[in-house]
Amino acid sequence: MRCQEVYRWLQAYLDTAVTAEEERIVERHVRSCLACRKRLIELARTVEALEGAEDLTPRQDFTVRLWERLKQEKSSEKRG
Amino acid sequence: MSVSKRLKLTDEDLVRQTLSGNEDGFTGLVDRYKDKIYNLAYRMLGNREEAEDVTQETFMHTFRALESFRLGERFSPWIYKIASNLCLDRLRKQRQPVSSLDEPIGPDQDIPQQVADWSHAPDQIYEVKEMRADTQDAISTLPPKYKVVVVLRHLQDLSYDEIADVLNIPQGTVKTRLFRAREILRRKLARIYEGGMTVKEGVSR
Repeated sequence: MRCQEVYRWLQAYLDTAVTAEEERIVERHVRSCLACRKRLIELARTVEALEGAEDLTPRQDFTVRLWERLKQEKSSEKRG
Repeated sequence: MSVSKRLKLTDEDLVRQTLSGNEDGFTGLVDRYKDKIYNLAYRMLGNREEAEDVTQETFMHTFRALESFRLGERFSPWIYKIASNLCLDRLRKQRQPVSSLDEPIGPDQDIPQQVADWSHAPDQIYEVKEMRADTQDAISTLPPKYKVVVVLRHLQDLSYDEIADVLNIPQGTVKTRLFRAREILRRKLARIYEGGMTVKEGVSR
């Protein structure tokens, strides 16, 4: 099978969103095609880099500030 | 209410509490979702200050719109939808009008020019921190509609279906955008990794 035909499955393979049959096709193809093997490895690394992103947290007073804003909004509605 | 008690409640329970006037309900929802929304916003906007703003705005909107939330539906796609739309709005406003006139929006034409020009010093050895910065840089050059799909898929771990639901687009479109976005990122990051690895190999010899 040609690389172009396999490409969408190759991509879906990364999301484990392929059928068993498609999985076999992808795996068979990358065993014999160096270019697609390289591409798959690079795509997998890209996904790994994305998912390895550092988890950040908002400021500690996030919830306090939010409630202040919500209450301000409520009281200005009452006044208006 | 204690955090441990809150953990056992479903999102829907918390929504009900909020609607009945119990503030703990909404605080519970905020505790549960603020980190997720903040990370989504940061990956979309690339700036902590703006991410903080958008996260606040998301909860303001959520609070105001809570009455229109249909009980029985899942809460998480609903709040992701609010957050994604606020981020996309901001990105739209940031866009330079000149470049948007010059570059027609289409499935193939809207890949930013930086894709081709993107380069780096090849004599760099990549540490985790740098790799993270490079990943964020690479994400930041994606067109917004690609970026949002990548962020929802790989940072929020949503399925194609859930993303389709959040963005109100067909599943096929989700896949096309996701695959294209990953292809762009692959090309950019591959260049960096190759550079980094060449040096590492050289050092060990």
